[in-house]
This record gives sequence, C-alpha cells and structure tokens, in this order.
Amino acid sequence: MSVLNRVIGGPPRPGNRLTVARLGATASWDLTEVWELSGRVAARLLGLGVRPGDRIGILAANSLEWVLLDLAALRIKAVTAGFDPGKFDATGAELVARYGLTLLFTDQDETADRVHPIASLRELPPYERELPTSVWELGEAPALKFTSGSSGPAKSLLASAGSIDSSLAAVQDMFAHGPGDDLFVFLPLSLLQQRYWVYSALAFGHDVTISTYEAAFAALRTARPTVVMGVPGFFESARAHLEATAARTGASLAEVAVETFGDRIRYLWTGSAPANPDTLRCFTDAGLPIFEGYGLNETCIVTKNHPGAHRPGSVGRVLPGKEVLIDADGVINVRSEHPVATRYEHARPGDADLMFRPGGIVRTGDLGHLDEDGYLFVHGRADDVIVLENGKKIVVRPIEERLKASPVIEDCVLTNPSQRQLVAIVSPAAQQVDTDRIAAALRQANTGLDRDEQIAKAVLAERFTVANGLLSSQFKPRRKQIEARYRRLVIDPEEGIRA
Amino acid sequence: MPDTIETAARAALAEVLPQDLPPDAIALDAEFDHLGLTSLNKVLFLTSVCDRTKVGLQHFTEHDLAAMRTLGQVVDALSRHAEVN
Repeated sequence: MSVLNRVIGGPPRPGNRLTVARLGATASWDLTEVWELSGRVAARLLGLGVRPGDRIGILAANSLEWVLLDLAALRIKAVTAGFDPGKFDATGAELVARYGLTLLFTDQDETADRVHPIASLRELPPYERELPTSVWELGEAPALKFTSGSSGPAKSLLASAGSIDSSLAAVQDMFAHGPGDDLFVFLPLSLLQQRYWVYSALAFGHDVTISTYEAAFAALRTARPTVVMGVPGFFESARAHLEATAARTGASLAEVAVETFGDRIRYLWTGSAPANPDTLRCFTDAGLPIFEGYGLNETCIVTKNHPGAHRPGSVGRVLPGKEVLIDADGVINVRSEHPVATRYEHARPGDADLMFRPGGIVRTGDLGHLDEDGYLFVHGRADDVIVLENGKKIVVRPIEERLKASPVIEDCVLTNPSQRQLVAIVSPAAQQVDTDRIAAALRQANTGLDRDEQIAKAVLAERFTVANGLLSSQFKPRRKQIEARYRRLVIDPEEGIRA
Repeated sequence: MPDTIETAARAALAEVLPQDLPPDAIALDAEFDHLGLTSLNKVLFLTSVCDRTKVGLQHFTEHDLAAMRTLGQVVDALSRHAEVN
C-alpha cells in the first residue's frame, strides 16, 4: 500500500505523539487522538458540502487545527491549499476567488462567504457515521502548492499523490524514522514538504513536534527532537548563535549545540537553498550531522545526502524514481517516474514552458554536475536569482537594467546580505557623483515594482573596470568580487543613498 | 533591574547584527529592519535575551514578538515581566 494511503487507511498505532509547541502554550496528543479528531473535521467538511476534488484553503499559522484539516481533506479526497499568512497579502475571500476554493479556514480574524475561522474546528462532536473509504491514485493531486514566482504573484501547481508517495518512501529508506524519533517542524505547514513529516509520523510510527518560526529556538530545548527540519538560513543564524555563545561563555560548540537543540539530535535536515559549507561543517564538528539535499517545488526531493551516502559539498545522490540529466548548458534537468506536475495551475503565460518539458522533465535553471559516484554538485543559478528570506525569488537582471537606464549609473550589481532588502552597488557614470540624482534613479527604478523587488539603497563603488578586477574580461560585472569589496558599506545602515 | 535588562539586551543584539557595532552604540529607537536584523536573528536575539534575563519567553505570543521592532520596545516589554516576576 502506498504511504499516503497507509496514512488515511486507518488509525495509527498508539504510543506516538503530535506536539504543538507555540510561544506561551505547548500541547500534545497521541496520534490515535489526532486521527480521531481529524475524522471529526472530515465529517464537518462533508457536512459543509465538501466533495472529492474540492479545494480547501488554510490561511493560518501552524496549529493542531492545521494538521487536522489537512488530514481530514486527505481522508475525504479534498485538495489542501495552504497559504502562509506571512506571504500572502490577500484576504481569505480574495484567495477563495483566485484559487477556486470551496472553503477557506483562517486564523486571521476574517469572516466572509466560504471563509471560516479555523478555531471553529476545535472541540467538534464525535462523528456518528463511518467516513467513506478513500484511496489516492498516483496521478491524483491531494495538494495545491505555491511556488514563489520570480516576480508577480505566486505560481501554483497541483502536486501528485505519486510524487508525495515516492518522496516519503525514499526518505524513509534513507533515514529510517521510527519509534524514539521526534521530527521538529517549524516552517509553515503551508509548505507541502513540512506536512510530509506528519504523514511520516502516522505511517511509520514516530513523534512529530510542530512549532512556529518565532517559537523554534525556545521550543527546541524542551521538545528534545531527534531531527530538525530547517532551511539553510535557519542553520546559518543558529551557527552564529552557537559561536557567539561559545565565545562568551567559554563552553565548547558541542555543549552549546546541546543547549540549543536539545540532547537527542540524530541529524539535521536542510535544503531548498544553497547551504554554506562552513556552516554544515560547523554543525557536523559540533556533533550534529547535517544533511543537505536538493529539490524544487516542481520536482520535490531529487537528491539527498544521508547517513549511508554523504559527500560534503554535494547535495547527495539521486533518489529512486528521479533521474538527473545535465544538458549542454550545464543546467540540471530532472525526470521523475511520478512527476509532481506537468504544468502550473496559475502562472504567467510562458512560465510553464520554461519549467516543464515533455516526458515529465523539469528544467531547474540551476547549474551543476554529477560526479563519478553519482553525487550532485550545484554551482548556482543559470540566471542570477536572489532568494529572499521569505522565499521570494528575485531575478536581478531586469531590475539592474532599470537602474542602469539612468544616465548617472554606468553599471550596478544587486545584492541582499540581510536576505530582506535589495542593495545596489553602483558604478557611477562620472567621477563627480550627484547623490540626489542617484536617489532619483533609485526611485525611478522602483516605480511599479513589487515591494520585494524594490531597491532599498545604493552604495557607491569606484567605477567597475577590468583593471580593478570588478569587470570580467568580457566586461561583465564580477558579482562575487564586487560584493566582497563593498560588503561593509552594504551592511552598514548608516551608509548608502536611500531612495 | 531595567538597567540589567538593557545591558543584556544590548549585548545579545550586538551578537546577531550583521555589522560589528558596540552594544552601547545601538540606539534604543533604531528599527531592527534598519539595523539589518533578519527575522530569524530577531527570534534568536529575543530567545537569548529572555534566557539571560530569566524572563520566560512564554510570556509573549508570536504576535507580541512581531510587534517588537526596536531595542527600546524589547527592553520595555521584558522590564514589565521582570517587575512582575
């Protein structure tokens, strides 16, 4: 039986728990209780007229109700569409209309047609009738998921049950999660992969702790998980914390790591963006093995380092059911036995053609190579993309071109050291720099751009030349060198010209 | 107590800022965004300062944390709970 169908096929074994650890409140349930409560929610959904294939939106922070709704939707073959309140500016009613939702549940204090408070799912009465038996076929889609567009509104796709299933099975083969494990999840459950760990707990019998971004560091020590699922930015911040605390207190990194992550860590999981090799090494040296992987929303997990096959610097070997094809330009293409999707549900015209190719192939846009043992190494983006901490991908070239349209700016490079704001490092067109005109150029370039795409400030550099090493021999700006040379000015809030 | 909290908060904040800034040089009313503090580092800072001042982070909700945008606001919020303690 497929993993997903095992999840919805009947109650799990007792003895494993779901814990929700938020600031100010922690509560825990046996997974059998979670199963029973999800049945009550499923019955409520049926009572509200939800039918197989209907889309249920969830616009809420991580909570028990989030988990229950998702499981309930799975059990009656509805489609979960998760929205991170931090990422979607739209109201629930707007999301209902935009994405064709039958219902939306939210913690955002909004009521409208088809929009319900998620709190209404608390303390539902037990259901009296049997729920219909459901089976997910591999090509059916239990989830509508969203992927940060390079600009404009988020793209969405319907993720196939087959892709979810093959990823869960492959992860289980690599990491053997089971009794004694507690997987710590603090990224939004609106991200389908974060929900995998709940499915894994139900199917393979282990604990799972759901927290929030804000509560994560506080909750880790008391939760004492065995696995922490995080993005590289999280581990980067944690590493800085470990090193600063070790320096301040005289404790070893390993001691501070235990203090921060608890004393039961088996391994740390990361992916979704390039990780700093020094950070990975730091955690491994501190006694917390960390395994990097690779995948896109459009491909699910493609490669993963794991205890049985780990090559530092790589993102691991290719998972069963996936095939990595490096094209003539060095771009990573991924063929899947069970593709996540073959098109977007919502996207700008042409976006799907750039990503989805015939034969279940996805062109990732990342550059990389496979070594002789099949480990994948990722070198960067084929086009220059900045990923903000909110996950939004910004293609910098068009924004740079807008700024370069000003006669006072000869060239520029966009950077984002804080992962929050774009900073332009500007090569001025003249020796005598008119800062007012550069500020005006910034305002002009920002006009009409999304908030995340706007340039917060410009830092003046010396003119980029081949001689000073800031231009390549093809007269292209050498981004890394420019960023390194002007980093101090870029990160100093007192420096720079603001729009 | 507030002096102790402010000192601890300044030290904890200086540790997570992207630029080297002496703890005493951080303005109480400087916006975290303006200082280049990422969301995760803000969380680490608040977790760390609560540890150091023995003010339980459980006094605050995710919403409270989001509303704290300057060092001064953090010091004020922690001081209220320290006095209660």
